[in-house]
Amino acid sequence: MDRKRVPGPELSVAPLVEYPSDFKRWTPLDEIRHDPKRQPEDMRPIYLKTGLISQANGSAYIELEKTKLACGVYGPRPVKKVGQVFSGKGVLYCEIKFATFSCAKRRTNIRDPQERELSQILSQALSPAIQLDKLPKSAIDIYITVLESDGWGSCVAAAITAASVALAHAGIEMLDLVAGCSAAYIQTGPSISSSKDSIAASRPPQIFMDADLEEEKYEQGAIVLAYMPSLNEVTHVLQSGKAEGSIISQSVEHCMEACNKIYAVMHHALLESINDNKEAL
Amino acid sequence: MALVADAVVPGQRLGHVQEFNAGVGTYSRQDFIYASVVGLKKITIENNELPTMTVERENTQSAMPDIDAIVTCKVVRVNPRFAAVNIMVVDGKPCTDDFQGIIRVQDVRATEKDKVKIYNSFRPGDIVRAQVISLGDARSYYLSTAANELGVIFGTSVAGGSLVPISWQEMQCTKTKVIELRKCAKPM
Repeated sequence: MDRKRVPGPELSVAPLVEYPSDFKRWTPLDEIRHDPKRQPEDMRPIYLKTGLISQANGSAYIELEKTKLACGVYGPRPVKKVGQVFSGKGVLYCEIKFATFSCAKRRTNIRDPQERELSQILSQALSPAIQLDKLPKSAIDIYITVLESDGWGSCVAAAITAASVALAHAGIEMLDLVAGCSAAYIQTGPSISSSKDSIAASRPPQIFMDADLEEEKYEQGAIVLAYMPSLNEVTHVLQSGKAEGSIISQSVEHCMEACNKIYAVMHHALLESINDNKEAL
Repeated sequence: MALVADAVVPGQRLGHVQEFNAGVGTYSRQDFIYASVVGLKKITIENNELPTMTVERENTQSAMPDIDAIVTCKVVRVNPRFAAVNIMVVDGKPCTDDFQGIIRVQDVRATEKDKVKIYNSFRPGDIVRAQVISLGDARSYYLSTAANELGVIFGTSVAGGSLVPISWQEMQCTKTKVIELRKCAKPM
């Protein structure tokens, strides 16, 4: 039992949700995306802003419709942990935290294994872009809070994007910005209902860029790509599920293209932060 | 909203290595110079040399001690082997977070090192100007005060009055005129 916080009532009743009479849950059978306005290769529009967390050295907030997260960067600051050996390179520490209300099911306050894994992924994706050799004996801490999660893949991708913008905002020397992008492989069309139909089953799955939660329920596999657009280098690939090689290489290419678009957004957000500084003076 | 034309972000290509030297806030990689921080790019031209490309940071990161940097620090504790200090200012720039440093007994002054007594050189609470000589161990930077202009620049006496330097190793209390021993910095 969690004694430190105010718990909810012991007995609770789920709220009644009334769906409209013509409500139909989305399935890939429809061959359109969950958001009918989006094409398979379309991303959700991105809102990105720097400097929302005033006490952090650098910060960024990102929103892809219902995926919302905030990122704060602290440092470089001296390492004060006992038992730490001398290192000529800086240390990057990432921590991602899902807010208790961020998912459909309530998350706990305690760090769970998924958050640990994501933190690991994040530091692997970001550390190649940071010039850690210029920061001896110091540490950079990145804290990410997911306010609302709409799809696991898009959450990781947004976290990478926001963290690298926050790092740049903190004035930390980097090789390049890192853009993150996700895609899901989803079998569309009637093949799901009649999987015995060999012709339909052999149809390659569709690549849905930046899949949301509803679409992720039907995914066969997914990919998250972290990419440095102007150096044209991939820092991290996270592939899960089952897919053919051709589909994977195709989706990597799609993701790289999308990352170039995200880069433009990141670029704009950082330039805007310069302008904000100018106006404040 | 008009964006600044010279504003750059990390990873932005700024020029070729044959045209420019990579200065502060930039790095060179495979024949090209890229920006490494957010800021405004600047080109400084010197005689008979390649122009230097620099990027002035928009959001300055906290100052970090570097070898040969002159730091201002506060003594937190002393023992016969070294004085432990908190580094507060590096090259005139304040640090957001204090860095730990130590002044070892052999680094207090340049001559007669064997006669140095830490307790007659520094006391807790003194403000000291020192030079970084090494990144040191995992915990602290190693500092030195072995120069005329390095040493205690401000201190309070046992009685609580501020100390005024009267020689390179003596300071006098303004209240009680008691003379206390310190490794003084030559006033600049």
